[in-house]
Amino acid sequence: MKSKFYSHILYAILLTTVCITSCDKSIEFSEQLTPLNPTNLDPDAATWSMVLMTSPDQIAVPAPTDVTSDAYKAELASIKDAQSKLTKSQQQTIDYWSGGGVLRWNQIFRGLVARYNLPPAPKADGTYPAPDAENPFADPMFPFANPPYAARAYSYVTATIYDALKAGWHYKYLYNRPSPSKVDDAIQALAPESDLPAYPSEAAVMSGAAAEMLKLLFPASLEEITRMAADQRNAALWSGKASSSDISAGLALGKAVAALFIARARTDGMGAAGGNKAIWEALKLNASSRGDEPWVSLETPPRPPMLPLFNKVLPWKMTYDQIVAIRPPAPPLRGSAEMDAECAEVKYYTDNLTRERLSIVHKWADGAGTYSPPGHWNDIAAEHIRDAGFSEVRAARAFALLNMTMHNAAVACWDTKYFYFNARPTQLVPAIKTGTGIPNFPAYVSGHSTFSASAAEFLSYLFPAHSGDFEAMASEASMSRLYGGIHYRKDCEGGLVLGKDVGKHIVETFAKLDGAD
Amino acid sequence: MSASVCGQTLTDGLMMPKKNLCTGFMYTHDQWTEYWEGELKRDNGNVGKVTTQSLMWVGNYGITNRVNIIAMLPYIKTKASMGTLHGMEGVQDLSLGVKYNFFHKKFEKSAFNTFAVLNFSTPLSDYTPDFFPLSIGTQTTNITYRLTTYFKIEKGWFVNASGGYTWRSNTTLDRPSYFNGNEFFISDEVKMPNVFDLFVSLGYIKNGLQVELNYMQQNTLGGGDIRRQDMPFVSNRMNSIKVGALVMYYLPKPKHLALRASTAFTVDGRNMGQTTTLMGGALYTIQFQKNQ
Repeated sequence: MKSKFYSHILYAILLTTVCITSCDKSIEFSEQLTPLNPTNLDPDAATWSMVLMTSPDQIAVPAPTDVTSDAYKAELASIKDAQSKLTKSQQQTIDYWSGGGVLRWNQIFRGLVARYNLPPAPKADGTYPAPDAENPFADPMFPFANPPYAARAYSYVTATIYDALKAGWHYKYLYNRPSPSKVDDAIQALAPESDLPAYPSEAAVMSGAAAEMLKLLFPASLEEITRMAADQRNAALWSGKASSSDISAGLALGKAVAALFIARARTDGMGAAGGNKAIWEALKLNASSRGDEPWVSLETPPRPPMLPLFNKVLPWKMTYDQIVAIRPPAPPLRGSAEMDAECAEVKYYTDNLTRERLSIVHKWADGAGTYSPPGHWNDIAAEHIRDAGFSEVRAARAFALLNMTMHNAAVACWDTKYFYFNARPTQLVPAIKTGTGIPNFPAYVSGHSTFSASAAEFLSYLFPAHSGDFEAMASEASMSRLYGGIHYRKDCEGGLVLGKDVGKHIVETFAKLDGAD
Repeated sequence: MSASVCGQTLTDGLMMPKKNLCTGFMYTHDQWTEYWEGELKRDNGNVGKVTTQSLMWVGNYGITNRVNIIAMLPYIKTKASMGTLHGMEGVQDLSLGVKYNFFHKKFEKSAFNTFAVLNFSTPLSDYTPDFFPLSIGTQTTNITYRLTTYFKIEKGWFVNASGGYTWRSNTTLDRPSYFNGNEFFISDEVKMPNVFDLFVSLGYIKNGLQVELNYMQQNTLGGGDIRRQDMPFVSNRMNSIKVGALVMYYLPKPKHLALRASTAFTVDGRNMGQTTTLMGGALYTIQFQKNQ
């Protein structure tokens, strides 16, 4: 008996020792990308409606040299040389980018938003410093990628990639230069080979478009962004997909298209969206003159409201007047029986914060240090886009239109929030303790609900077979804010309606008419 | 070793005799207002004073005079005095350990003992690890290897030193991605660094009285720092150095009942609160067999 006991202990020690030395704790990403090999190359993509460019040939791309020229042969020789000395890490770079450039940039982008989604710390005097684009490495770092900032950023980067790729497609099928691995049998295709013409390289177009936009939006991550962009171009070269002239033409095109979008971004109203003290006071007065309790920050020390003039930031394919036209009706006033009932319901949920509901709150919280609610919907969309096997340009369309929709949702939601400027549940009932942090802006309508419904509306158009899933997710995301004590039911329901309206606008007036279906 | 001594922790140098069970409850009150955000010490008006209370059942059973089984199960409740965040509470982790007195040498007036401890702990409830500083734990399964030396000097004085290495399983969040302070992950699984700890105590134990001063150090072997103004994260590099004192008194009557009180104060830390801890408890010894 005794010896058996000791042998059990010995066995446990051995087992756990093995675990210490060999149990693998490394984390595998749940969003795995397999080599992209689209069945439909979308040769007509250049005819699809542009987002910002006036035409696919707005930026000129000169004709390439002939594949029989000495210059091109020298390019092929250098690819052969590179392939003959390919290292393991270079092979990994090829494998990484063969999962699809559009999807990869989306993953990288979500990581950047999560890294920069951090509010500035208060100064000793209780005020908050503003992040400064001219000094991005300082404390506070620039930017604070909060939900509106993130929504706008996602839309700019994805729309730039989309327009740039359509322009790229135009020249690809205009010049019809095959890929190096098709021209020369001695060059291996180390990533899936297709009949997509190589000039200009789509990988280089993307790398230029994505990197230029990301450097504008996340200047302190210049080094990482530049390295990823160079990797993408190198992967195209080493894999036999593109020659150096395919790549340089693509890079120049991508950068030139980015310059058009950067010019728009500099004048789209974002610079003034933070407002100033006079504006913050006027918002209070607005709410109290309606007979409501004006919003106050629940942070200590109180923080100025987040981007109160974001409603004036330019929407995509929609006008400010169209945004105002769908603004939801006023929320119930403080002290009304209706508002008392709303508060009581929130109090009920926070007093009964079950584990099941808390997990829903945390699943959708998407607060500080995360990729934000628009990022969550990019996450949801990415697996559908991957599974659909879209060409790069069609994947770019999906992300661009999704993020343009969510940018518009942010504008519309912020318009409503600051028009009514009403209090969060905890401001009216301090005993309401929340299951996640309370965002620093007014309650009505819920941002999560607006973003989610707008995204679900667009994704349902794109993947109609999954529309039920998208709607269920949007509804869960919306209710998570009530469960967590962040929002009244009215905020959630109003946000869902507003988001759906915004989503419908892009679907009906742009997506269905752009020639891609 | 006196039969009335109630060994009850994984780090001490005391053993329960064969077929004796020492069991009871400990109440712990722990609070902090200042914490280390990485290495920057600060307070935060959005949490104010964070209080953690726990009620823990402990049991230590002597399988033989040399082999003890120690079990613990706490119920924990957290609360922030300011801000809006909801406190958490629940049954935390069941801990089960085997303590083996593998070396024992008696001198004329002193004694030297060494112990090996293998401890296993695992969550008994589905509490969230994703709500620090108010989460009640890390929701990990842990295995600790510990070596303890206990030197009993003359006239009841003793010195005890114990070092432990804890392997921690990864933990799972309710969300599909996260940023750990350094890197972004598209996964709900978080890699958890292992932990090293050191415990040294110096004290007196005689005639039913045990008093000691102690030093406790915990170093997380990896993990990121809390960034400026960020929330803490479950896999942060949580380090601390605490000093404390303990008194345990075996009542003359009722026999076999001991009262225990201790305190500890965090003198240095990283990604943790500067805690002040008070603990009180009562332990009762049941003899299933008369001690030889």
